Amino acid sequence: MMSESLAIGGRAITKWLRNPFAVIAALIQATFWLVLFGNSFNPANAFASSPLGGGSLGFFQQAFGGATNYITFLTPGVIGIVSLTTMSFMGVDTVLDRLSGYLDMLSTYPIPRTSIYFGAMIQNITKAMATAVVTFLLAFFVPNGLRLVQGFSMVDLLGVLLTFALLSLVFSALFSGIAISVKSTDSFFALVNFLTFPIMFTSTALFPIGFFPSWMKPYAQANPVSLASEATRLLIVKGALTAAQTWSFAGDVAGLLAYGVVFGALGILMARNALRAR
Amino acid sequence: MSKIIDVEGLTKVFPPSTKAVDGVSFSVDEGEIFGFLGPNGAGKTTTMRVLSTLTSITEGTATVAGHDVGREPGPVRESIGVVPQEVTLDNELKGIENLMLSARLQHVPKKEALEQAGELLRLVELDGAADKRVRTYSGGMKRRLQLTTALIHRPKVLFLDEPTSGLDIQTRTKVWEYLKQLNRDGLTIFMTTHYLEEADQLSNRVAIMDHGVIKVSGIPSELKDRLHGDVLTLEFVDGAGDLTTLLKRIGEVAEVTRTGEVYRLKLPKVETAMPGILSAVTASGLKIKQMSLTKPTMDQVFLEVTGRSMRDAEEPQGNGSGSYGAVYAEVKTR
Repeated sequence: MMSESLAIGGRAITKWLRNPFAVIAALIQATFWLVLFGNSFNPANAFASSPLGGGSLGFFQQAFGGATNYITFLTPGVIGIVSLTTMSFMGVDTVLDRLSGYLDMLSTYPIPRTSIYFGAMIQNITKAMATAVVTFLLAFFVPNGLRLVQGFSMVDLLGVLLTFALLSLVFSALFSGIAISVKSTDSFFALVNFLTFPIMFTSTALFPIGFFPSWMKPYAQANPVSLASEATRLLIVKGALTAAQTWSFAGDVAGLLAYGVVFGALGILMARNALRAR
Repeated sequence: MSKIIDVEGLTKVFPPSTKAVDGVSFSVDEGEIFGFLGPNGAGKTTTMRVLSTLTSITEGTATVAGHDVGREPGPVRESIGVVPQEVTLDNELKGIENLMLSARLQHVPKKEALEQAGELLRLVELDGAADKRVRTYSGGMKRRLQLTTALIHRPKVLFLDEPTSGLDIQTRTKVWEYLKQLNRDGLTIFMTTHYLEEADQLSNRVAIMDHGVIKVSGIPSELKDRLHGDVLTLEFVDGAGDLTTLLKRIGEVAEVTRTGEVYRLKLPKVETAMPGILSAVTASGLKIKQMSLTKPTMDQVFLEVTGRSMRDAEEPQGNGSGSYGAVYAEVKTR
């Protein structure tokens, strides 16, 4: 199972390394979010010019979980959004594989059907992780960019990477399952649009939870992009975590893991159903 | 010879009510090349998809290499190689990478796979292009590489869906040569085709399918003989008069038609009728200016069993024809 999944995923990764357009496009998207959105919509400016805010950084920090500037707050959210959108669109490769007859051909091999699904996941997670890491590095260099808390450690960095990896697992499990199941690019893009926008706008990727009306709060808190953003923010903004913060981080990670398991199980069922002889 | 493919009363209905295959029975012996002939939409591809475990059976049974295709798809998949109608190679990978990926998914150990790959690439004359990306290949090269990906694990049965459709005649002849060579080495080949010549040239046995039903099956030469359709055309030296009655009197001549000095004689089998005709003509002191012979073609066989010629039978892509080529082209242009 593992060997076949790696072979199938490896095919796509080899292709991608030769023609990294999809990831470059994702990085361009990330840059736009960070540079353009991050600076133009910067709420710190609004606070600064507001008579209420009195230009105090403290007021902004209070609202934005202690972040010293908006892009520090925004970076984990942008990684989440870019992971969501690119992962959903990368699924189109699988849809094209179905249309070209490639999936049928794979189905004549003596391999478990689920290895086709896991193969798709492996390639998507690899691409998403590469995008996430580069976006994270990029955020340091944009104007008013990412500032890590003093004493940010290797352990914190590993925590950040773990969070990114789990988030890409969640979305690749979901979108690979959908991609294997749909029969046309049209229905795939329709479904993707139907899912990505609500996930994006009900997350705390761009604004803190305090900005949401009370009816949206439960959705925003349970949103996987929010879980990943909040977990990462704890690490990059707070640094050495208190016991309560560690629990909060662990809770977010457990939440992501739960999504991964549920979407993974769902995806396996979808893949089995889509690839069985009918 | 043991039956390597055995199909009994195979019916496939695509919901809601499209009967693509309707109660088909046939078997293929080990070491045969079996040609499945018929127009697009006849049910050939659906039958092949059933045998290669891609499509489920509505009614009937089908076994390949001794395993039921529905209940034991795993062992069936291990014993078959499939070459679909559309090329399913990865354009961004090199020829050898495509081949090795196939080997890995067929669980061929790497060392053995490399040896087998070298051998196969030499057979299809692609050993020089193995390290080039498939996107640089011509259509014929892609087909040949596709063939090797289906053979890397030394399958018992090779399924070919329209192996040479769209290829130029030169490449087509080459592909036929490879297939004959592989068959001589013991490979059983099951292929669908709508080229009559292909079925005729390559197959030990053919089945003609139309509207989901096998109309006739047998050895190509026997099917043609059954038509009693040999035509001998004789042109006599001027001034011989009307020879119709004389020619009709010869034992095996079934029918005579005259156009000037040219006579068309319909014979059951020219090989046995010829001596009688020649001696009758010589005995009457007549001189033949020219003679020619037409043997029946598979197209005539097709016409005989379906009531239409193959060309007329070609209809828009039918149900379950399984070709995604057109759809893919549409997607790519977006």
